[in-house]
Amino acid sequence: MSLAHETLVSLRRRLAAKEIHPRDIVKDLFTQIDAREKTLHAYTHLNRESALAAAEKADLSLPLGGIPIAIKDNLNVLGDPCTCSSKILEGYKAPYDATAIARLRQAGAFFLGRTNMDEFAMGSSTENSALGVTRNPWDPTRIPGGSSGGSAAAVAGRVALAALGSDTGGSIRQPAALCGCVGLKPTYGRISRYGLVAFASSLDQIGPLTRTVEDSALLLSALAGHDPRDNTTDLRKPENFLTKPDGSVKGLRIGLPKEYFLPGMDTETEAAVRAAAEWFRKNGATIVEVSLPHTPAAIAVYYILATAEASANLARFDGVRYGRRATDARDVLDLYQRSRSEGFGAEVKRRIILGTFVLSQGYADAYYRRAQKVRGLLREDFEKAFAQCDLLLTPTSPEPAFRLGERNQDPLKMYLADVFTISTNLAGNGAISLPCGFTQSNLPIGLQLIGPRFGEETILRAAHAFEQAHDFWKRMPPS
Amino acid sequence: MSSTGTWEAVIGLEVHVQLRTQTKMFCGCVNHYGDAPTTHVCPVCLGLPGSLPVPNEEAIRKTILTGLMLGCKIAPVARFDRKNYFYPDMPKNYQISQFDDPLCAGGGVGLDPFLFPKEIQDTEEAKAGRTIRLTRIHLEEDVAKSFHFEDRSGIDFNRAGTPLMEIVSEADLRTPGEAFAFLGSLRQVLLSGNVSDADMEKGQMRCDVNVSVRPVGQKEFGTKVELKNLNSISGVRRALTYEIARQIAACRKGEAIAHETRRWDDEAGATFTMRTKEKAHDYRYFPDPDLLPVRTDQGLMESARAELPELPAALQARLAKDFGVTAYQASVLASDRVLCGYYEKAAAGTTHKAVVANWILNDFLATQPDPATTPVEPAFFAELADLVAGGTINSAQAKKVFAELMTNPTSPKALVKKLGLEQISDSSALGTYCDEAIAANPRSVEDYRAGKTNAINALKGFVMKKSQGKANPVQVDEILKAKLSA
Amino acid sequence: MAAPKLNVSDVAALARLTLTPEETEKFSAQLGQILGHMETLGQIATGHVPEVTPPAQPALRKDVPTPGLSVEAALSNAPAQANDLILVPKIVE
Repeated sequence: MSLAHETLVSLRRRLAAKEIHPRDIVKDLFTQIDAREKTLHAYTHLNRESALAAAEKADLSLPLGGIPIAIKDNLNVLGDPCTCSSKILEGYKAPYDATAIARLRQAGAFFLGRTNMDEFAMGSSTENSALGVTRNPWDPTRIPGGSSGGSAAAVAGRVALAALGSDTGGSIRQPAALCGCVGLKPTYGRISRYGLVAFASSLDQIGPLTRTVEDSALLLSALAGHDPRDNTTDLRKPENFLTKPDGSVKGLRIGLPKEYFLPGMDTETEAAVRAAAEWFRKNGATIVEVSLPHTPAAIAVYYILATAEASANLARFDGVRYGRRATDARDVLDLYQRSRSEGFGAEVKRRIILGTFVLSQGYADAYYRRAQKVRGLLREDFEKAFAQCDLLLTPTSPEPAFRLGERNQDPLKMYLADVFTISTNLAGNGAISLPCGFTQSNLPIGLQLIGPRFGEETILRAAHAFEQAHDFWKRMPPS
Repeated sequence: MSSTGTWEAVIGLEVHVQLRTQTKMFCGCVNHYGDAPTTHVCPVCLGLPGSLPVPNEEAIRKTILTGLMLGCKIAPVARFDRKNYFYPDMPKNYQISQFDDPLCAGGGVGLDPFLFPKEIQDTEEAKAGRTIRLTRIHLEEDVAKSFHFEDRSGIDFNRAGTPLMEIVSEADLRTPGEAFAFLGSLRQVLLSGNVSDADMEKGQMRCDVNVSVRPVGQKEFGTKVELKNLNSISGVRRALTYEIARQIAACRKGEAIAHETRRWDDEAGATFTMRTKEKAHDYRYFPDPDLLPVRTDQGLMESARAELPELPAALQARLAKDFGVTAYQASVLASDRVLCGYYEKAAAGTTHKAVVANWILNDFLATQPDPATTPVEPAFFAELADLVAGGTINSAQAKKVFAELMTNPTSPKALVKKLGLEQISDSSALGTYCDEAIAANPRSVEDYRAGKTNAINALKGFVMKKSQGKANPVQVDEILKAKLSA
Repeated sequence: MAAPKLNVSDVAALARLTLTPEETEKFSAQLGQILGHMETLGQIATGHVPEVTPPAQPALRKDVPTPGLSVEAALSNAPAQANDLILVPKIVE
């Protein structure tokens, strides 16, 4: 079997036992890439030579020694391109390492390549990439989800062992669900954002996409912890996420928020998720119905706050210090307007305009400040719910992967599909998506487990138990 | 108060002060002026994608300290906000500043009479002792520096991100002289706290002015004009003088004052309309999500309080009271803490503290010394004062000793001996000199006895010459008068 | 609160974007729809807003220099530079 099909944990064991060499892993991965990438287009950049060179120098005594990881194209890796799948960063080479990248290096990992994404992480289908679309490994006519679509497709499509993504409103979890792999969004403040190109500063988090929950815990351990370069990282010392879970979910109180199970839901999704809840109950957990009453306002709150922050975060892309600059600009204003208008895609422009509007004089109170207040209420919803349960269980996505081109002319409809993931970002809690079933047409269905803030240990323990009791994680997409 | 008839000016100042910190406001790059371009930069102050700000604790502390020195209320929780606008010297096209929750609010700057322009220090305006209220003090980051060439501009990001403290006054100022005194007095406070060197000509303190005029007695403000490009404290005064006159002249003609920004041209001696902006900026302020709120009540207040210096006003009062120096001398000393320290050391060694002040501020300062490194020990001045007070030497001789002291810094007592300058105080010896003077100047003696008291000076001069300047002038005066009236 | 007229051109100008007439029309329709959805916010009572206590103290930075970028690295992505300055068209006050 190709080494590209194995988990990080298993590969680490075999490397330590000297059964295999890191170069074997890289070679197998590139064999897979050569076979599949033409269809998948998960990558925007491959590090063929440097990955092989790093494999030769790997220090196997380190926790991720000898392991190549794929990196979403919005994380700075020194010397590599960092385009965020945008024309405006064409040719940009990162002059520094993101903290997350530095920590992976310290743990012995190296980098296979950079994965495709929705431009500046704005989108749920990776169709907003300026570098071409990525296809779902289970059905190449369908989207892989977004914005970390490249990372999810690479992991599920076996052209990467594991990948880093970023999640602002569901951008790790939703593609993980649509591609049938594991995607973890840690609690806000767990992993440093220094070096992650910002979309929405109070919502963004970096997280791993992997084949198993154990692999996710392995990466989280390497990445988590306070960073003096990121003022929003939490000061607590991260716990050991790798304590051998006993596989038991006895006594766990699982909350089902009633606002996430509405009539008219996709029937296959609902069936798979309810079956998962039933599994927990059969194995000793208690199922409780809870309520997150402000859920209907979440999309509005998200699209006001995220776009507001983004409009400021993306102001720096102006053709002055880096990135694409319009040629023969008459004056500074012309330089700004043309560089930005030529460099940004439609979705990015739309969100910048919306974000600028909700902050503008005369409207900021009704939109931005009001949304901030409602965000506080959403946060309170979660706190109240976690007084009654240990984890929330929900679908990740309202439906499985839709077809490419089906929805990209209807932004509002795109936005409304984020309904199950965005509240978690607004509240700042951590959550995981993992496979819990397949549709009749062999499309993956994702289960989401949301934890209390800094409750990753509980999330991972429960997710691991569910995963190992089922075969979903072993299923492979058609070749 | 003003000589402008029935009109008065209403002036408010917005002062930006560069803080003396080692590093920038939100990153660890060096905060130093004058180095080669682009040598103090990093992803944060260049606004590279993915960079994040982390606040400089010392900059916050210095701002709190400034607030404490100026009597402001310090916010228990302060926040940073993003101020959004596009400009090539802005690395992120938003500036991290403070809007809703600044570090300091209220407070005031007392106008030091000696910091008014010299020509008007003797007026009621300078002696009024007004305190100008402040609105707020907040912390923000500075922008990069641009250089303009014929057909393009070049930007150096060394200055981008350096910490800037913005001090906003209420519209309490009424004259250009007060504005001049405000800036000087504020600067003294900043120097005393080691917060900034605040030298306007070096760009360490920048000032924008808002000025309007109204008929005396009117409650409503007139139309406000903003003045920019003020590069020195006296420049501020000149610009205000011109602008106030311009506005009053226009008002007298019934012309409307445009609400605009005008640029002061020091060479031309006038203000000019800057290219008018069509709309006021919509800065779209919102709290910076990359920065957590700063709590000042968790140790920052205490550590700022620990740095509180003796403020200029308090120091001046103490010097006048305990050392007997004049108000003017107190103000000079308070404006130079090193010199003041030198003086206090010198004055400690003698009861003639005011005399020591004269020596140091008049004679010693004229030699342009560096009080921090001079080989002339402060104690020497105490000695010198005591030698004169005790009658060992007279003041003329003391000047000679002082001159020698400058080239040969040793104990004045030793110098007196070396120069053979001991004053003659022996009455019989002095009596002999006086007899000689009387004998040699019969005309002066006659004039004196006839009632011209000044005639005694010729006799005194004769004694001084004969004694090679060593005669004790007080005794000579007594002895001569006694003999002449005999 | 009724859905306001979002003047796409005006707002785009604030953000230094110039749109084609087609884009302006399309975005106006799309953003109008999106803002319509945001009416839901108006119905939520925000009288009670939970107090958020700021954390004890965020980690502030000590005033000690840390290494930055070399001149070459800093200018490595600059579209136009000379004499270690980043060049732009002439800035007029």
